[in-house]
Amino acid sequence: MSEIYDIGYRHYDGPRLGGGHATRALAVHSLRGIYGLGRTARSKIMPFSLATIMLLPAVVSVAVMAMLGERAMTYSGYAVIMQPIAAIFLASQAPTAVAPDLRHRVLPLYLSRPITVSAYVGAKVAAMTGALFLMLAAPLILMYVGELVIDLDGPPQTKEFLGALSMALVLALLLATFGLALASLTPRRGLGVASVIAVYLLSFASVPLVYTALDMSGYHSAASWAWLMNPFWLVDAVQVWLFDTPPNADGAYPGGPMPAVIVVALIGLALAVLAARYRKAASR
Amino acid sequence: MNTVVAGITYRALLGRRRIILLLLLPLALIGLAVLLRVIGSDDQRSAVLLMEKFAIGTMLPLLGLIAGTGVIAPEIDDGTIIHLLSKPISRPAITRTKFLVAASLLALFAAVPTYVAVWLLVGNEDGLAPGFALGALVAGIAYAAVFLLLGIVTRHAVTIGITYALVWESLVGGFVPGAQQFSIQRWALTVADQLSDSPFLTTRVTFGFAVPALVVVTVGAVLWAGHRLRGFALTGDE
Repeated sequence: MSEIYDIGYRHYDGPRLGGGHATRALAVHSLRGIYGLGRTARSKIMPFSLATIMLLPAVVSVAVMAMLGERAMTYSGYAVIMQPIAAIFLASQAPTAVAPDLRHRVLPLYLSRPITVSAYVGAKVAAMTGALFLMLAAPLILMYVGELVIDLDGPPQTKEFLGALSMALVLALLLATFGLALASLTPRRGLGVASVIAVYLLSFASVPLVYTALDMSGYHSAASWAWLMNPFWLVDAVQVWLFDTPPNADGAYPGGPMPAVIVVALIGLALAVLAARYRKAASR
Repeated sequence: MNTVVAGITYRALLGRRRIILLLLLPLALIGLAVLLRVIGSDDQRSAVLLMEKFAIGTMLPLLGLIAGTGVIAPEIDDGTIIHLLSKPISRPAITRTKFLVAASLLALFAAVPTYVAVWLLVGNEDGLAPGFALGALVAGIAYAAVFLLLGIVTRHAVTIGITYALVWESLVGGFVPGAQQFSIQRWALTVADQLSDSPFLTTRVTFGFAVPALVVVTVGAVLWAGHRLRGFALTGDE
């Protein structure tokens, strides 16, 4: 195990937990930081209020199920409908995970311990993915538990629920890698928030416009590809392909495995950007 | 108005990576306009839709946020605001200067591209292009003032601002018509409607309400921002 200097202090002779443990500790610490746990009350306000807004439709849906016996929200469409909230969460919290370390240039300190650049990036991505997954999955789980407790007519939609849950993980990974890659390009928090939300809104606002314009002009197959320019509809297209759910967009998505290939390629691209960024930051 | 402060602010905004963001959004707007023209849907309906959904609905609040908070929030964030505050310049004068910088940037990066985009689609039909350009200009100025104030009041200015623009103006405004009375975007559309007589542009807010509201919000936000900066506490929350 590496020591920086041995200047004669008493040596540590407790158990050595190794690099994996350090990486795990960093991931847990980052995950807590994203939700503001262990920080001031003011930094808890944002993540928790966004997570609460995210839960509201699920609560309403459970209430509707209890009183009217109908489903108000589908599992497969939840992320697409609530996408602005998830995107704001990503934009506001991704910079808190990466910006302070870059701004105070403490990366060499991390790297003097048994943590490599890739382990550091992996821990941050895992933390952000976990935070987003918690936020995306909690309403689904709440609705499913509500459905089981209320015992609606017909069998519970377990297949759709599990499909939506696994897609939430894919979506969380895609959003986390992209959000962190964008946020890590600047050491300034405010600018990081603005750049993540700007890129998201660009796709959120332009995609329906491009789709409508292409569809009205008769380019129907090109129009269906327009949906894939937004991460939420892209992952929904994968869900349609894998689990045969109804699409949550006007018209249909391009079928086949292409959306899934794009998701994998985008995650790979974002990870490559992150790796390049941190290799540069570590060498300063 | 203080020219030195203005110069420093311009350099901070235009000399860093922020300018990429300031350029990205107008370029996307013009790119969309070109795309619509190429595929042949360059009529008034799609021009109004592009303006309502993208230019006024998305680009304008985002640019207002980037410029409005960008003139002051980074300085507060890294503590260099103390060098500015310790100079014998009146604090309201500092906020006025920073507001003017943000407003001028919005005129350049929001109003001009808006005019170009509408002109690309429909030319000068029915006064749509000058109408939307003027709407974008006045609403951009109002956004600059509000987000400048927000940047002084809280460190989460960008998140709160985007939540206001997305959740209140777009989501709540879509379901609850009353919320549209208190939406800068709607006031912009009302101003645009005043100059244009296109049948595709309809607004729910009256001109007699929108103009005073824009003036009150802009002036009030700048004055309050100056007041907040006078009693500014340099404490962080991180």
